[in-house]
Amino acid sequence: MNVIQELKKSLPSGSVISDKEQCTPYECDGLSAYRQTPLAVVLPHNIDQIITILAICKRFNTPVITRGSGTGLAGGALPLANGIVLGLSKMNKIISIDPLARTAVLQPGVRNISVTQAVEAYGLYYAPDPSSQVACSIGGNVAENSGGVHCLKYGLTVHNVLSITMVNMAGDIIKLDEKDDGVDLLALLNGSEGLLGIIVEVKVKLLPKPDTAQLVMAGFSSVSACADAVTSVLEQGIIPAGLEMMDKFSIMAAEEYAKVGYPLDAEALLLCEVDGSFDQVKVDTQRISTILEQAGATSLRVSQNEAERVALWQGRKNAFPAVGRFSPDYYCMDGTIPRKRLAFVLQEIEKLSIKYQLQVANVFHAGDGNLHPLILYDANVPGQLHQTEKFGAEILKLCLDVGGTITGEHGVGVEKLDSMCHQFATPELEIFHGIKNVFDSTGLMNPGKAIPTLHRCAEVGQMHVHNNQLPFPELERF
Amino acid sequence: MSEPWINQICDQVKQAAFEQRTVQIAGNHTKVPLENGFEEVSLTQNVSATGIVDYEPSELVVTVKAGTLLADLKAELAQHKQMLGFEPPEYGGSTIGGTYACALTGPSRPFRGVLRDFVLGAKIIDGRGQPLAFGGKMIKNVAGYDVSRMLAGSKGSMAVITELSLKVLPLVEEVTYCKAIPESDAIVLMNKMAGTTLPLSGCAYYEGLFYYRVFGEHPKQTDVTACTNDIWLTLNPFKPKLQAHQKLWRVDTEGPAPSIPNTLAVGMCGQRRWVVSEDAPAEYSTLWQSYFSPRHNDTSPIANIKAGLKNVFDPSNVFKTL
Ligand SMILES: Cc1cc2nc3c(=O)[nH]c(=O)nc-3n(C[C@H](O)[C@H](O)[C@H](O)COP(=O)(O)OP(=O)(O)OC[C@H]3O[C@@H](n4cnc5c(N)ncnc54)[C@H](O)[C@@H]3O)c2cc1C
Ligand SMILES: Cc1cc2nc3c(=O)[nH]c(=O)nc-3n(C[C@H](O)[C@H](O)[C@H](O)COP(=O)(O)OP(=O)(O)OC[C@H]3O[C@@H](n4cnc5c(N)ncnc54)[C@H](O)[C@@H]3O)c2cc1C
Repeated sequence: MNVIQELKKSLPSGSVISDKEQCTPYECDGLSAYRQTPLAVVLPHNIDQIITILAICKRFNTPVITRGSGTGLAGGALPLANGIVLGLSKMNKIISIDPLARTAVLQPGVRNISVTQAVEAYGLYYAPDPSSQVACSIGGNVAENSGGVHCLKYGLTVHNVLSITMVNMAGDIIKLDEKDDGVDLLALLNGSEGLLGIIVEVKVKLLPKPDTAQLVMAGFSSVSACADAVTSVLEQGIIPAGLEMMDKFSIMAAEEYAKVGYPLDAEALLLCEVDGSFDQVKVDTQRISTILEQAGATSLRVSQNEAERVALWQGRKNAFPAVGRFSPDYYCMDGTIPRKRLAFVLQEIEKLSIKYQLQVANVFHAGDGNLHPLILYDANVPGQLHQTEKFGAEILKLCLDVGGTITGEHGVGVEKLDSMCHQFATPELEIFHGIKNVFDSTGLMNPGKAIPTLHRCAEVGQMHVHNNQLPFPELERF
Repeated sequence: MSEPWINQICDQVKQAAFEQRTVQIAGNHTKVPLENGFEEVSLTQNVSATGIVDYEPSELVVTVKAGTLLADLKAELAQHKQMLGFEPPEYGGSTIGGTYACALTGPSRPFRGVLRDFVLGAKIIDGRGQPLAFGGKMIKNVAGYDVSRMLAGSKGSMAVITELSLKVLPLVEEVTYCKAIPESDAIVLMNKMAGTTLPLSGCAYYEGLFYYRVFGEHPKQTDVTACTNDIWLTLNPFKPKLQAHQKLWRVDTEGPAPSIPNTLAVGMCGQRRWVVSEDAPAEYSTLWQSYFSPRHNDTSPIANIKAGLKNVFDPSNVFKTL
């Protein structure tokens, strides 16, 4: 018997998809430039079935690629030809809600937005809000340590998870709790990209819904003035709930798309939202308006009611599709930089845009320095995808050069393996491989993702020399 | 190239590994007295191991050497109207490295988060004597496994922490109110209040009084008395006077869980109970007199994972195993 037959025999009918055509929707995640049809897609209903699946895969030495909703943007859920996709979409129940303790226990396939919807009646909500929140799963959020517009104030997924139940390749059910002593395994699982275990249950923290929120929108005559304004707001001791910036191209595209009244004469736009109690929001809005005026805002608008606030966000929220209308394809990058280097980095990206002859739009989380340059290209023009990828890699290199990181929220997946060789030296990569081996000595969980092999780093010529000790000193170098 | 003090510690660790000796990493010895027989890797005996490396208030990030005294770090931040969000307890001379290694958080925990929530990056020396760097100075960074948050709580068993990058918060003005109510009512009330938009930064029950701390703009509080903020120093760190035979336990529990007999104090929306009892009063109980001995027994898969990780970071067992 082969692995598919064994899976079919052991699971309820309809749980295993092995028909090539039916597997097609699973051949990529949100990074559609990479595709691969898996051996089969397996859709378990419960933890027992997951344990059965893992035991079979282990027996047949078959890789397991866990998939939540497939909205990942780094190819983390990209299948392998000889592996199965373990789809968790059927495990989508909210197991319990405790309004007094302000917690909810969730199956991994619960969609992010469903949590907030389910607890709204208690005046609570789940804070991490990736833009993909209507589709992405809680399991995927934990695996990617996802963030959203609100993470400057409310943190990433890791800050909002209280316990995780995971299953390892040996089929052990392991509960990791924030109350555990010693090294913080709960923190380690956040952002582990499906390499350490399958997350089968998550307990999240819920927060009280703010009484009110208010948005201050300001136009600036230069990107650097806008970036300086961001610094001023934070220096004055205000932590906005959202602090987003758009460049001229994005403003124009978003306004044309959503028609919300963005200032078309501005070179850069800042959207600054505060939330909380009525008293605090009133004080903060006033202070922010003053700070932005002093920072040289050329236009300033404060939302006067909830409808206006929501409307003003529409441009920002639709900025990607709005920009996308100007080109057949676009590639969304993700890197983080120290805020003080914003103006410099945006200038350099502009230079690269000229070098590669590819247009770029910048819409990003200015509050935490998380950039999302959108590179516009046409996949039908031979070579343009390749040029786009080279351009993207240069942007990530730039982020590292100014002291930043190659991914703020989308993860490494298969997309940024080579950039990992820029960010980490050999000894750190060895530690990462050691950690993987502790959790999954079979190497069957999402192999080839997130952490590059040392061999790969050597091949891309990015192997770091640490303490002057050459790795593989016996090999000839050029 | 690394700084000389880093190289010194690397050499010390390598030598210990070579000689198959165990070393004890020490901050400023504010914990249990050092056990005899272990060579010390000291952070504070070396002035180069203290001080702020990089601090940009507008980035909300501070990078600090591990031997820096907590008090010095807090004073520097306060000068720029900023603070450590995890409100670490001060034992009089604690270092930031030791504080991180112990991963202890003060009363603001349910509202602002635990210590590791503020960790952005760490530089360490592993048991092979290799200097390593994980994480960074970015508020958002998901490249590679999150080793810098994972090592919070490692209590000197995995690696020497040499430098930390931490997220900081604006310093806020806080006021405390209190009133007399029964303990069980107070536990429910703390949780109810935490579900509202009142800007809470602490709540506790101690000696018959329910205390809560509020920051920033907030509605006028009724039926309560305004009191000083000193209560939070009494509770953090909590050092009650005990009879010689009494054992003090720290219990981490679900916030609204019912009262536990012989409770001296309740903190953090009920998530922290201080109990005097002969035996462990609940699942997540820590015998506080011997904080550095293992706590609740890990079940076997978790124990195996921890042992495996210890082996990854410290294959020769140079650092004292917990
Ligand atoms: C339009 C759009 C906007 C986006 N905006 C944001 C944003 O604002 N912020 C942000 O952080 N991300 C954003 N993303 C990226 C993506 O939505 C997130 O990374 C999300 O968390 C992925 O969840 P998913 O359920 O779709 O996971 P998948 O794509 O299915 O999987 C992602 C990774 O997690 C692993 N995984 C999934 N579930 C589990 C599990 N239960 N156990 C173990 N491993 C698992 C997979 O193996 C894979 O490596 C966006 C994506 C899109 C398409
Ligand atoms: C009974 C008791 C109660 C305690 N209660 C509290 C409390 O309520 N709150 C609290 O915060 N602390 C408490 N502590 C622990 C300790 O006092 C503090 O945590 C303090 O912050 C430790 O700082 P230090 O610099 O003095 O470290 P030390 O006391 O020197 O060391 C503490 C631990 O951290 C490790 N360590 C220190 N520096 C480093 C480093 N650079 N790299 C790696 N490991 C390192 C040591 O090996 C040791 O395991 C308690 C201890 C005891 C015995």
